[in-house]
Amino acid sequence: MKFRLILGAALALALAVPTAASATTLIASGSVAAQPVLQALFNGYHKAHPGITFVYTANGGNAGVKDVQSGRSQFAGQARPPLPSDAGTTYVKGYLDGLCVLVNKQNSLHSLTISQLGDIYAGRLTDWKTFPGAHLTGTIDPYGRDANGGTYNFFSQAVLQGNPPGGNVNALSSDGLIANAVKQDKYGIGYDGLAYTRLLRPIKVAGIPCDHANVASERYPLSRYIYYVLPTGKADPQVTKFIDWARTSRAAGGIINNSGGVAVFNKKPPKHHKKRSTRR
Amino acid sequence: MQRDRLRSWRLGDRVGLGLCWALGALFCAIAAAIVIYMLVEGLRYLRPALLVTHPTGGYGEAHSGGFLDPLLGTFLVAALAMVVALPVGIAVAVWLSEFGRPAGLARATESTIEMIAGAPSIVLALFGTIIFQSGALGLFSRTAHGVVFGRSFFAAGAMLSLVAIPLVVANTREGLQLIPAHVREASYAVGKTKAATIRRILLPAARPQMATGAILGIGRVIGDTAIIVILLGATLTFNGAGGLSGLSTLRGTGSTLTSYIYTNSPAGEGNQPGKAYAAAFVLLLMVLVLNASVDLVARRGRKHRWN
Amino acid sequence: MAPRWTDARTGRLLGALVCAVLLTTASMLLFVLVQGWPSFAHNGLHWFGSGGSVDVQIRNIFLSGETGTHPVYTFHAWPLVWSTILITGGAVVISLVISLFVSAFIVEFAPEPIRAVLRPVIRLLAAVPSVIYGLIGVLVVVPFIGNHLISQSARASKAGIISLSGYSLLAAAVILTVMISPLMVAVFSDGMRTVPSGWVEGSLGLGVNRWRTFWKIVVRTARPAIVAGTVLAAARAIGEAVMLAMVSGSVGFSPNPGDGWLFFVEPSRPLAPTIIKNSEELSSPPMHATLFAIASVLLLSSALFSLVGWAAKQPMKKYGVRA
Repeated sequence: MKFRLILGAALALALAVPTAASATTLIASGSVAAQPVLQALFNGYHKAHPGITFVYTANGGNAGVKDVQSGRSQFAGQARPPLPSDAGTTYVKGYLDGLCVLVNKQNSLHSLTISQLGDIYAGRLTDWKTFPGAHLTGTIDPYGRDANGGTYNFFSQAVLQGNPPGGNVNALSSDGLIANAVKQDKYGIGYDGLAYTRLLRPIKVAGIPCDHANVASERYPLSRYIYYVLPTGKADPQVTKFIDWARTSRAAGGIINNSGGVAVFNKKPPKHHKKRSTRR
Repeated sequence: MQRDRLRSWRLGDRVGLGLCWALGALFCAIAAAIVIYMLVEGLRYLRPALLVTHPTGGYGEAHSGGFLDPLLGTFLVAALAMVVALPVGIAVAVWLSEFGRPAGLARATESTIEMIAGAPSIVLALFGTIIFQSGALGLFSRTAHGVVFGRSFFAAGAMLSLVAIPLVVANTREGLQLIPAHVREASYAVGKTKAATIRRILLPAARPQMATGAILGIGRVIGDTAIIVILLGATLTFNGAGGLSGLSTLRGTGSTLTSYIYTNSPAGEGNQPGKAYAAAFVLLLMVLVLNASVDLVARRGRKHRWN
Repeated sequence: MAPRWTDARTGRLLGALVCAVLLTTASMLLFVLVQGWPSFAHNGLHWFGSGGSVDVQIRNIFLSGETGTHPVYTFHAWPLVWSTILITGGAVVISLVISLFVSAFIVEFAPEPIRAVLRPVIRLLAAVPSVIYGLIGVLVVVPFIGNHLISQSARASKAGIISLSGYSLLAAAVILTVMISPLMVAVFSDGMRTVPSGWVEGSLGLGVNRWRTFWKIVVRTARPAIVAGTVLAAARAIGEAVMLAMVSGSVGFSPNPGDGWLFFVEPSRPLAPTIIKNSEELSSPPMHATLFAIASVLLLSSALFSLVGWAAKQPMKKYGVRA
C-alpha cells in the first residue's frame, strides 16, 4: 500500500512539473534532400534564439506541401519549383543546390550534354563505348532517386522533359546510396547534391563544371533552388522571422555553405575576412 | 562395447553428417564475419563522449554531436512498450492457462496472438499512423492549429507493445504450465480463491519465465526499425509538446538508436556512417546484455524444483 | 466471509481484457482491409494479375490523387507478388534446409566450446536490426554480385530494359536467409532439445548410429517445433521491408525464369518494400488505398502461414507429440 502511494506521488510530481522556459515549437516537413542543410539552419537559429525549437519531418517535398496546405505544418522545404497543384501556398527561394552528375574513378568521362544525359536515363543510350571520353566498354548502369522526392521530380523536369526514367535506372532511396553505388560500380553514373562531390568526381554538364561558383551564378544547368513553402497570407510571424534570418543573415549563409548548399541571398562576409587560400 | 565407427555407416548417413559439419562451419563463419565486422567498425568509431553528448544537426562528423538523445529514446520506447505489454501479456497468459472457457474463445485468442506475432511491423506502423492522427487520440501527440501530428513516443510505444505481447504471452504461459497441478489443488484445498492463488503462488513461481518473456520482448522492441521510422517523427533530440514536462516528452517526438542508425547510414540523409557504426555497436552491446540476463534469470529459475 | 475476488469475477475480468485484445486486433485487420478496399474494388482479381508496368501504374495513381482529377486505381501487382514469392519462398526454403543441419550440428555434433559460443551468437544475430543487414548487403553483397558474378555480355543483353548491377534476387534472398535462419535455428534447437533423452538412448542402445538416431528420432519428434519455426520465419520474411528496399533493386520487374542464370541476378521489388518506398505519398487518396491494399495482402499472408502451420501440425498429433 505504502509503495503504491509513493509511486503515485512520484508519478504525479513528474507529470506536473512545468517546463522551465516557455518554448515555441515550429513544425515543418518536406524535402528529404534539403534536410541536412535545414537541420543545420534550425540548429543555428536555436543557438541564437533558445526559445525556439523546430520539428522537421522529412516525408518528401510533395508531402510537405500538402502538409502546409492542410495546416499540419507551418512551413515546408521543397526542392522543385511550384506547380498548379500547390495552390494556397507561397514559394520563397531559400538557397541553391546543384545536382552533380557523378561517375566512378575508373571512368574518365569529362562532360555530357543534357540531351545525352536524358538519353542515358531514358534507356536510349546504353553502352559506354558511345562516349569515347570514358575509355570504357560496357553497359551503363544509371542510378537515380525513387519517385518519393523532389530530386526525382526536378531531374525528370530538367533532363527527361517530364518523362519518367527508363526501366534500366536503379531507383535508390537516398543520395548516400547513389554515391555508394557509383563508387562501387565502374559502369555506374548517378546524380547527387553538391555535398557528394567530396566523395566522387562530378562531370561537366554542357561544358560547365558542377562547383560552388557555377551553381551560385546559376551557370550550371542543373542548379536548383530549395524553396521554403508557406501558407499564403497565414504565415506564422515566428516562421517568417526564421526564414528571413535563413535567407539574409551572414551566419545562416555560412551554415548553408558549410552544409553542402550554396547561399544566394545571404550577406557575404566582409572582404578583409576572406583568406587568400585556394579553394580545394 | 563396440565403438560407433564412421566407416560402418551407410553413405547417406555419412553425407548427412558431412553436411551438418559443413553447414555448421559455414554458419559459424558467416556469423563470426558479421559480428566481427560490426565490432571492428563500431570500435573504430565509438568514443565514450558520444554516449553523453546530445546530437546536433550539424553537417560533418565534427559538428554532429553524439547520440545521447537516441540512446535515451531507446530506453524510453522500451519502457513504454513494456508498461503496456507486460500487464496485458500476463493477463492473457493467465486467462489462457487458468480459465480458458469457453474453449472457442481460447482458441481464437491463441490464433490472434499468433497473428499479432506474424504481423509485419510495417503494417503495424501504417495502422498506427492512421489511428493516432485521428482527433480522438489527439491527447497522445502534438496538436497544432487543430491538426493532430500523430507521431510521438506514445504512438510508437503503443504499436511496439503489440510487437512484444506475443513473446510475453508465450513465455508466461509456459511458466504457468510448468507448475504441476497439485500445487493449485493444494491451494484450493485450503480455501484460497483462484485470484489469490494466481497472485500469491503461481505468478511468483513463474517469475523466471515472465522475466524471460519480458527481456525477449524488450530485445525485439529495441531492434525494430520500421515502426520507429514511421511513428516517432525522427527528430534528432527530444522535442516535447505541451507544458507538462514528463508528459510533453512522451507526447513529443524524438529518435532511437535504430532510426539514428538508419538516418546516418548511406540509406538516410545524415550520411555519417562512422556514427552509425558506433550506434550499432552500442545497440548490439545492449542486446548482448539482455541475452545474458535471460540466461542468468533462466539459470536461477531452474533452481526451483517442484517434486 | 465471502472473498471480494471470486473465481467467477476474476474469470470475467480477465476474459474482458482478452476480449479487448481480440477486438483491437480484429479492428486493426478490418481497418486495414477497409482502407484498402477501393483498390481491390476497382481492380478485382486483376489486382494480382499482370498487365502494364507496375511502376508507371503507381506513378499514375499518385499523380491522379495529387492533381485532383478523377482518381486512378489501376494496379496489377503481379511483378511485386512474383518477386515476393520468389524472394520469401527462396529464403524460407534455403533457410529451412540450412537451419535443420545447423541445429543438428549445434544440438548433437558440435564440440562443447563451439556450442557454448554459438548459442549467444545466434540470439545476438536474431536481434540485429534490419538496417544493419541492409548496410552489409549494400556495401558488401551487392558490389560482389555486380562486379564478379555478372558478365559483360549478360548486361548488354538486357541493356535498356533493366540494369544488372548487383541489386538482385540473389542478394535479397541470401541476406534474407541470413536474417531468418538464426530465428529458425533457435526454435528448432529448442524443439530438438525437448525430445525425451530416453528415446535417444534407447535408439543408440539398439545399435543405430548417431546420425540416424538423430535424424529419424529427434528430428521426427521435433517436427511441430520445425513447423512453428518455419511459420515464424516466413512471417518475418514476408514483412521485411527496410532491408529489402535497399538490396532487391527497385524496379517493378518480373524476373523471368526463362533467362537461365540471369534469372537470379535480375532486380525486382517485393510487396513490403513497395510500401516503404511510397510511404511518403500517403497523402494522395488513391495511393493511400493502394498501400493499404498491399498491407492487407501482407497481413492476410502471414495469417495464411499460421493456418498452414496449424494444418501441418494436425497429422502429427496422432503420435502423441505435443503439437
